[in-house]
Amino acid sequence: MTAEILYSIRNLDVEYDTRIGGVRAVDDLSLDIYKGEIIGLVGESGCGKSTLGKAMMRTISSPGHIVGGELWFEGVDLMTLSEKEMSSIRGNRVGMVFQDPMTSLNPLMKISDHLTEAIRTHYPKMSEAAARARAVEMVKDLGIREERIDDYPHQFSGGMRQRIMIALVLALNAALIIADEPTTALDVIVEAQFLDLLRDLREEFELTILLITHNIGVVAELADRVAVMYAGKVAEVAPVEPAFLDTKHPYSRGLLRSVPNIDVDNQELYKMTGAPPNLIAPPSGCRFHPRCPYAVDLCTDDEPRLLDVSGDGHLASCWIYSDALHRPMDPEHV
Amino acid sequence: MHDPMLDEVPPEDQWQVDLGQVGLFRRVLNGRRWYGVDWWMVVISSFMVAFFILIAFFPTLISSYDPLEQVGPRFLPPGDVPDEEVIVVRVDSPIDSLAEFAGEDRVPTGVVQGAPSSEDIRSEADRVTDELAAEGSDERVRLKIVRYETLDEMLVGVTDKEVEFGVASSSELAPLMGSYPELEISGPISGEKGGKSFPLGTNQIGQDVLSRLAWGTRIALIIGFTASLFSLFIGVPLGLLAGYTGGKFDRFFTLIMDSLYAFPGLILAIAIAAVLGPSIVNVIVAIAVLYIPTYYRIVRGQTLSTKESLHVEAAVSIGATKVSIMRRYIFPLVIPSVAIIFSVNIADAILTGAALSFLGLGLPPTTPDWGIDLARGQEFIQRAWWLITFPGIAVMLIVLAFTMLGEGLMEIFNPKLRKQ
Repeated sequence: MTAEILYSIRNLDVEYDTRIGGVRAVDDLSLDIYKGEIIGLVGESGCGKSTLGKAMMRTISSPGHIVGGELWFEGVDLMTLSEKEMSSIRGNRVGMVFQDPMTSLNPLMKISDHLTEAIRTHYPKMSEAAARARAVEMVKDLGIREERIDDYPHQFSGGMRQRIMIALVLALNAALIIADEPTTALDVIVEAQFLDLLRDLREEFELTILLITHNIGVVAELADRVAVMYAGKVAEVAPVEPAFLDTKHPYSRGLLRSVPNIDVDNQELYKMTGAPPNLIAPPSGCRFHPRCPYAVDLCTDDEPRLLDVSGDGHLASCWIYSDALHRPMDPEHV
Repeated sequence: MHDPMLDEVPPEDQWQVDLGQVGLFRRVLNGRRWYGVDWWMVVISSFMVAFFILIAFFPTLISSYDPLEQVGPRFLPPGDVPDEEVIVVRVDSPIDSLAEFAGEDRVPTGVVQGAPSSEDIRSEADRVTDELAAEGSDERVRLKIVRYETLDEMLVGVTDKEVEFGVASSSELAPLMGSYPELEISGPISGEKGGKSFPLGTNQIGQDVLSRLAWGTRIALIIGFTASLFSLFIGVPLGLLAGYTGGKFDRFFTLIMDSLYAFPGLILAIAIAAVLGPSIVNVIVAIAVLYIPTYYRIVRGQTLSTKESLHVEAAVSIGATKVSIMRRYIFPLVIPSVAIIFSVNIADAILTGAALSFLGLGLPPTTPDWGIDLARGQEFIQRAWWLITFPGIAVMLIVLAFTMLGEGLMEIFNPKLRKQ
């Protein structure tokens, strides 16, 4: 792939301190995000998706902290920036949309205040009137009537509030939007509208979007590429079609099979065996081996690397695809 | 079957009240119906607070006496008229004042031997003469004092025209007047009608209890408001900062505040006041220090929980500065609790202020203060009950008013806090 890399995560480690030891929620993770794409980040609850999203903006708060790694964005390693320089990038160049639109707006501030505050934080010289004009423009763009701008968040519906959150990010020409489960709290109709809106905005503003979700349907609908996370690591990264039609990693396969499918006439829903690992004491070798139907001795001993398994940017981290262990996966077996 | 509930469906407009359109006054009035709040508590206490504030601004409205001057006899009970030297005359020869005898030669005047009346009537005659001289007249009032053994003898003397009039104190005259129908009391020797009366009596040095109460209101409110404001302006920003930044700053201040909080309040205030010495500023400082931890702990706790809420996280992610997050995203959510503590705190501060002056550690002894009045009055509790009763009631009422106002407002503004 020749597309320009916008955000490159290199060997990122994020740890949460607990009384019984450090929990490594993101472990030696590397991922490239290309300019103009929508990349879906999926995985089970607790696999480190949201932590990764926050780490990318360096907003991990205590007891969590970034242990090491590099975050390259627009030619700068964000890890080397001071807190002040980082603040000027947050919101301005990288924006975040949160899961719960009901609580992610200040209940005591008008919508117009939210927007003008965001704009004037980054452009302190802009006048109040100019910031307001920009806010009105933004809100109208997102299909909310201008006269509603002086209302308070509780007077808006969930879908409208999520649009306001998007407006907060768009008001500042962010290049990358990290959307952390943006549709989880919305009903399906509003969700569909919101996804359409995201797609339109991507084209209009040339946005790059990292879509963190556990709704695989949303990813299939919207994303260009899919990254699957498992226990703080990337298991598989692939363009959306191969990711769903030619799944390489055993975990991704299990994840896909767990999604209810109306076409498959099977009453029983597929359940992966075992539970996600305890990240205080993760399994040795490949973290998926205790649950993996293909596990061999090598998997217990050594950690597989993320390799391009098909030569077209389809990466998977599994010993099956390395030269050390050539055993084709039996599609019927999983 | 008939359902009684159906009869009680409220009229339609009752469901259409838009809370956003409702003013404070209606909220207070409708508090009982909407929130189950005892709104009358708020109304009564607001009136009480307003009354005390009015008196503090205009103490002369309820009593015009100087609270520091001796204005009447000592230990005069509430409502009693003090003893006065009055003039007794025959009904058929009314005399209004001594000035009527100006220029006449040695008017015979009856007094009782040894009574203060003889001195008083002489000095009054001199005073009237001086007044006449000031007006340019050279006439004098000259009296011929006739001394009688008893009051009865004097009254008989007046009846028999041995003397033109008699002088005696009003309280001694009162029981005897019935037996002398030909006589009447014309008025006080000074000629001014009606003696001074004191609604709440006078204290051991002849000061008016009511006017001391009125001026004491001012002191109580000054102490209550300034001490509370002082602790608010220190406690709230510190709590916000400590809660939001956390770390060493938080640990350091929490340690200090918890140590302050661990002391019994009054003892700490006594210690501070004793070190600083008696003055109103020092009392305010001592009380303020006492209540800083209250604000600090509440604000810090609320900041800690608000900080974790998503809207603050969202504010961080749009790049808002720390100051702006504290000021615009956290502080507004803390205001309701602060307002409620403030109101209850004023009551507490007034009480502590009164306790300090009661113990003689607060204000300079010349200040008209309730605590000081209580402390002095308790020595005379058997002789003059009114000396400590009225300041005590005043302290109780003002504390009750502010506490009730705080509690009532809390229930209206923060119905969630109410226990079901």
